[in-house]
Amino acid sequence: MLSERELQISPIVQDSVMHNTKTLTTLHNLTASLFGVGAGILGLESYSGFIFYIIFTLLTSALVYGLRVRPAGVQNGKGGIERYFQGSMELWTGGLVDGLSGFVLTWTLFYGLVRA
Amino acid sequence: MPQVPVQTIHRDPQLFYWILIPITIVMILTGILRHYATVLMAVTPKKQDLPTIREQRSLLRAINLRMNANAISTPSFNARKDYMVTALENGAFLKEPDKKGQAAPNPMTDPAAMEGMMGMMKGNMAMIIPQTLIMGWINAFFSGFVIIRLPFPLTIKFKSMLQAGVATKDMDPQWMSSISWYVLCIFGLQSVFNYLLGSDNAASQMAQQMGQMGPGAAPQMFGPGVDAYKQYQAEAENIAVLDHQYTLEGVENRLLQSVKV
Repeated sequence: MLSERELQISPIVQDSVMHNTKTLTTLHNLTASLFGVGAGILGLESYSGFIFYIIFTLLTSALVYGLRVRPAGVQNGKGGIERYFQGSMELWTGGLVDGLSGFVLTWTLFYGLVRA
Repeated sequence: MPQVPVQTIHRDPQLFYWILIPITIVMILTGILRHYATVLMAVTPKKQDLPTIREQRSLLRAINLRMNANAISTPSFNARKDYMVTALENGAFLKEPDKKGQAAPNPMTDPAAMEGMMGMMKGNMAMIIPQTLIMGWINAFFSGFVIIRLPFPLTIKFKSMLQAGVATKDMDPQWMSSISWYVLCIFGLQSVFNYLLGSDNAASQMAQQMGQMGPGAAPQMFGPGVDAYKQYQAEAENIAVLDHQYTLEGVENRLLQSVKV
């Protein structure tokens, strides 16, 4: 945790934090719906469907990390997570919760449509 | 582990065209309608007279001074502090400086206050009316249909939630009735609205309900019935006890440390 003095020297701008979080949430919401479509068409059931969701959401996060966060970190000479997010958990696990309801909806819909 | 045979129910494929898809489309369209209704009903703030604006802005000025105190040097902060604290405690910026310390007027009698409440009522109505209408519509036309099967198993507890309107004792709780599909749509369509309307949309009922809880926690700043003089006094105290530290203090040493030779 940063001390108050360090926060003053290099402040965290609330607008930027919100923008980053919102961008990530939008991406996860959208991809979760698409993963639901995929899982439904593949006809996955119970655990395999949720594992599909977890794997692909983590893959999305990994792509975000690899294509955007990591290069910026390499340029700065330190880890990129601190540059964009308040903690690494926000990037890796935040997306799992965000998109779950959208995933269940499209999964159910397409599973029902395909297996009618 | 013994394998439980999977229940199969023969459903008419027409169910999809006449129940599932209509409900989904109607839910999406209501969300879009609600978004635009909220945008259209947003009232532009009424033009206020000069003393009222001054009363509000000087409080904001005091708050800004407190928030950004570290960006100015100590002498200039002290000068501003002395000025703001005296002015706030005297009530020099008040709309009616003679009336300070009196009880706030009843918000019901103030016409400006009534307008604010009307705005809140309208926002609530935009949420409640479509919800009631769609619920009634689904109940009237589609109640009692089992339309879709969840792709994951659930315990028996979920039966009353998922099979609302269908009283069949032995049916697997995976099967969903039309009303439950509606409930699932409420939760799951947020991402669709994000995609269609941008992430600041007012389409989702969930977001609306969250939003109502949010501002309730923070006290209203310039609401009717709030005594401005009391706010001034509290803010003056906040500024007076502030521990001031100049951010640029010792900046030359920090700069030299960061330069690698």
